Amino acid sequence: TSNTDYPWILNHDHSKQKEIADWLTMEIKDFVAYISPNRQEIEIRNKTISKIRAAVRELWPDADLQVFGSYATDLYLPGSDIDCVVNSKGRDKENRNSLYSLASFLKSKELATRVEVIAKARVPIIKFVEPQSQIHIDVSFERINGLEAARLIREWLEETPGLRELVLIVKQFLHSRRLNNVHTGGLGGFSIICLVYSFLHLHPRVVSDEIDPLDNLGVLLIDFFELYGKNFGYDDVGLTVQDGHAAYIAKYDWRDLQSGRSPFTLAIQDPGDPSNNISRGSFNLRDIKKSFAGAFDLLTNRCFELDMATFKDRLGKSILGNVIKYRGKLR
Amino acid sequence: QCPQKWKRVFCTLCNSKKHSRDRCPSIWRVYLLKDDSKNLKEKVLPMHKLYCYNCGGKGHFGDDCTGRRSSRVPNDDGSAFSGDNLSTNLK
Ligand SMILES: [Zn+2]
Ligand SMILES: [Zn+2]
Repeated sequence: TSNTDYPWILNHDHSKQKEIADWLTMEIKDFVAYISPNRQEIEIRNKTISKIRAAVRELWPDADLQVFGSYATDLYLPGSDIDCVVNSKGRDKENRNSLYSLASFLKSKELATRVEVIAKARVPIIKFVEPQSQIHIDVSFERINGLEAARLIREWLEETPGLRELVLIVKQFLHSRRLNNVHTGGLGGFSIICLVYSFLHLHPRVVSDEIDPLDNLGVLLIDFFELYGKNFGYDDVGLTVQDGHAAYIAKYDWRDLQSGRSPFTLAIQDPGDPSNNISRGSFNLRDIKKSFAGAFDLLTNRCFELDMATFKDRLGKSILGNVIKYRGKLR
Repeated sequence: QCPQKWKRVFCTLCNSKKHSRDRCPSIWRVYLLKDDSKNLKEKVLPMHKLYCYNCGGKGHFGDDCTGRRSSRVPNDDGSAFSGDNLSTNLK
């Protein structure tokens, strides 16, 4: 049967739901629960980070290691890298020598295999795999903006029901189409969070305080793909969130944005630096928009199809399956 | 005679002439309202929180924008970001 392709629907059949939108809401919750880490995985991750942190302090008593990125906000997919940063009182660790000394120190302590030192990048990092847990770790140096962004995102998650669920679905969707990597023009994690945050805070039914997003994740997911796949005026409109207030801004009025490039670009104002567009690296907007529109078509077609089907034909079916294409390990 | 010419689309669910009944957005665009939404009479729409996806302007939704459409993808059936997508007493 198709059940093995969509493991999150095992023992979670909602085919008898009267409204197809409610079925989709429940399936989203099942998928999020399915890809969320269990207690054992969280313990392994925390233990691994503690070991690396202890080693960093042993090497440099004035330094500390902290987690940022998707692991710091609980918005990661299974198998993602853990992003860490080393900050020191002297703020003097972002140089070749420090990178190589930490790399060889971790190797000598048997805390790192498959070590790569990328010293010449705009943001120098060490990449390695912790051998016991097999977790992939990236370490950067002397940067606080990642930590600040993580704190902001945790605030947003607290005040915005539905943000976590929709971000994880959209992330998995873009991941399955290889459109979530900024190095190849895709959407980065923070950009995805901003798109969903803005969508949720500007949705007519949310603005009017008529719905609880957690009860409406299904229709909201379709509305999300519809907005950014079909209707959003990328040529003329940018997104901004200042002091927790989501708004649009006419690109014409955003002076720092003026550049010689094509107007068809995603513009998201950096909450920490209004002159910065956090999505300027997402140059493959054409494919991103097309994939969102495709997700809208797939989801709505599936809804029409299942709405007409008999209960017998609906049994054990998935609405999300073809859209998010989860190919991760079974849990 | 061209059969296309005589094909007339009509939706018996929402009276739209843009799609047939089996492809009506109202099949999936269904919102579960908060319990207290039944007495919406006290609720007013905060106009200062409405933004337009089409021009970036304030005070209206993108579907209701009077400006030239920015996206080249058509929006025949209307989207979630429309004044029509609100309870009757808020429109
Ligand atoms: Zn209709
Ligand atoms: Zn407008």
